[in-house]
Amino acid sequence: MTLDGFWLPGLAPADVTAWETRDLGDTALRWPVLTPESLARVVRAITRARAETLARTPTAAIVRALDAAAARLADPADPLRRTAEAALPAVTGYAPEMIRLGLDRMVADWGAPALERLLRAELPDPAALDRFVDDPAGAGAPRAGRRLLRAHGPELAFHVFAGNVPGVAVTSLVRSLLVRAATLGKTAAGEPVLPALFAHALAEVAPDLALALAVTYWPGGTTELEAVALDAADAVVVYGGAESLASLQRRLRPGARLLEHGPRYSFGIVGREALDRASAPPLAQTIARAVAIFDQQGCVSPHVVYVERGGEVGPEEMAGLVAGALADLEARLPRGRLSPGEAAALHEARGAAEFRAIAGQDVRLHTGGGTGFTVAYDADPAFAPSCLNRFLWIKPVGDVGEVTAHVIPYARWLQTVAVGGIPADRLEPLAEALAAAGACRIAGFADAPWPPAQWHHDGRGPLAELLRWTDLEPPQR
Amino acid sequence: MPNVDRETLRQELLDLFEAGFDIPLPEARFTELALRVFAYQFAHNPPYAAYCRRRGVIPDRLADWRDIPAVPTAAFKEVALVAGDPATARAIFRTSGTTRGPERRGQHYVLDPALYHASLVPTFEALVLPDGVRPPMLSLIPSPADAPDSSLSHMVGVLAQRLGGPDSAWFAGQGGFERARLTTILRTHEREARPVCVLGTSIAFADWLEELRAGEERFRLPLGSRIMDTGGYKGSGREVAADDVQAALTELLGIPESHQINEYGMTELFSQYYDARLRDRVRGVTGEPRRKVGAPWLRALVVDPESLAPVPPGQTGILRHVDLANLDSVLAVQTEDLGREVPGGFELLGRTPGAPPRGCSLAADQFLAAARELQV
Repeated sequence: MTLDGFWLPGLAPADVTAWETRDLGDTALRWPVLTPESLARVVRAITRARAETLARTPTAAIVRALDAAAARLADPADPLRRTAEAALPAVTGYAPEMIRLGLDRMVADWGAPALERLLRAELPDPAALDRFVDDPAGAGAPRAGRRLLRAHGPELAFHVFAGNVPGVAVTSLVRSLLVRAATLGKTAAGEPVLPALFAHALAEVAPDLALALAVTYWPGGTTELEAVALDAADAVVVYGGAESLASLQRRLRPGARLLEHGPRYSFGIVGREALDRASAPPLAQTIARAVAIFDQQGCVSPHVVYVERGGEVGPEEMAGLVAGALADLEARLPRGRLSPGEAAALHEARGAAEFRAIAGQDVRLHTGGGTGFTVAYDADPAFAPSCLNRFLWIKPVGDVGEVTAHVIPYARWLQTVAVGGIPADRLEPLAEALAAAGACRIAGFADAPWPPAQWHHDGRGPLAELLRWTDLEPPQR
Repeated sequence: MPNVDRETLRQELLDLFEAGFDIPLPEARFTELALRVFAYQFAHNPPYAAYCRRRGVIPDRLADWRDIPAVPTAAFKEVALVAGDPATARAIFRTSGTTRGPERRGQHYVLDPALYHASLVPTFEALVLPDGVRPPMLSLIPSPADAPDSSLSHMVGVLAQRLGGPDSAWFAGQGGFERARLTTILRTHEREARPVCVLGTSIAFADWLEELRAGEERFRLPLGSRIMDTGGYKGSGREVAADDVQAALTELLGIPESHQINEYGMTELFSQYYDARLRDRVRGVTGEPRRKVGAPWLRALVVDPESLAPVPPGQTGILRHVDLANLDSVLAVQTEDLGREVPGGFELLGRTPGAPPRGCSLAADQFLAAARELQV
């Protein structure tokens, strides 16, 4: 079976002279080899479709269309969903169980209730996307003139994806379509499947709207193709590292905005209030799950969990509980394939921890038989990055308030802080300190892996930053 | 436990190294020496002994050198892995920085430089100078005086002294790369048809070649000239294709592929591997696969990255080295380098410590960069 890893409106069969394919075992993925000319035709086609259709479609109808496409991928019996379940383990390396769980959780973000929450969170009145609306902030203002607001999205948003966490790219495409941007997505080598399947789903449920969306893969750094997209896009959304960001930034068209989502990291904090005999084991299970999800590859996955001393269950015992919970998860939510380099890095990290123990440091390793998981208890509270793939550091602190100082050096890349067992009166000052340091999100361990649709992604409003506003102040007679 | 006398063992090793690269070392003799070195280290290197005991390995129970526990390179960052008193070290070689901060560098204590020298000289002679020439060593690597921590600088210092012709010189001083001075000396040798041996890191060669290309400058180095490069390009933040550098060395320096020899060594090992191709050529051996070879007292084992068990020849895995010259530290070192056993040696397939995250999490080296910036 050959799977089309692309959706390219405006591309005529005659434009395609060569195909690129990638073998995934039972299936193969294919993409047309684009030329600057053929990509330019696609860009013109989706821009025209936006002007003719998407830009004139009411927000409610766009939400309905996206919801219907999401429903296709949510339905275990749907052929597109089945294709996703078959192809994603091969392409990403994650276990099939992980892919199913990830799909279920991510697909919910593209449904109508989530999109409506997102619109309400990001716009003072979501109807501003359809027409001029009264500024809700103006109501009751003394003497103020009336003000009406209208919001427009970009004409063409060019998305450059990175990484292999399924769904991240689709969420980005959905946001872009929601603000009526013609949307071009360049998929990542690590996950070129789901964005294309989502486009196919949209094409089936809302063919007119899908004409304003294009998705395909080409090798990163293909500058002739990037140039075509960059010359046309008034918004560029970039996932990935500093190098690709800098390279694209130099080539933006004047006035275009660049929205970046570079790599970030997360960690967790456990307060002593959850460290009694009854609460600690279930919390350990939740922590283990947060570590296991996407094998720690996500930017919301914790590298370290700081555990407060003074509870009935000490930090060291907690490390054992989390290790036990990770062992339990090996069957239900197995870890994915490792590359040789990743496996070697795991052994290297374990070896380093073991020699710290041998050198007399208070370090203890908890592992299973193979490389499946590692919990390293280390009494040194200095922040230590994990080699990922289910390698968690557990470090003790005397008080949760001490943690912020340990992560300050890396605060500019801080994503989510997962918390457990910290009552409101202690959480508030901690949250203040973490927020001031740069944390984007503070959430319970159960929610940490799954940010809600309306989250401030990397600390910013993901819809709001795509918009430009027009204020209408009707002249008083 | 057998009582191993260091002096006896050391003398046997020195005799073995001095007998040279070409004297075959039967498997039984290698095993016997490796097990004695292991027993000596088990008795005198407490952290290594602790590591072995945690694995239930003690010298009495071992019969195969392949079962000697290998320490990960990270271990050299955490403890002093010395069989003997670290305070008596004549030098300490250090690796570059790590994610645990710039201060956490791997340290290889050199108690007995004679063992190091006795191993590295015949190896270089056999693989880089197999035709018996003694060209000047022109080094793009800083001198030992400028980089006392660097095992590579120390090695090139010894080579220049023992095997280098007159005019051997250093071109990477504290003021940076002295390109003009190198150009002058190369032009002189070019004119006088006297071959040279240029040594440098792979990155240094790539940079120099880029400058030559930009300046439209090229050399036709005399027949018999050669280069030795080391280190590869990974982690340098630059995209360099090894094939492009190879072609550029031929085009811009006039050095044929056969005379481009890549060294594979590490701070943690006293012995080194090199490409076999020049030695093959001199000995009239053809049709052998491109491969790395080392002295008989250095053996490589390709192991499964997950289970760490040896894999069959031809299968890709990660490389483990057993180096008898490491008498005073640890003889078995597990790397993260990818390789594959081929007849007569192994193929080095990549040196990528710390595989980059596949998802959107920050990579360990970015934490390192932040730590460096802020000096934490």
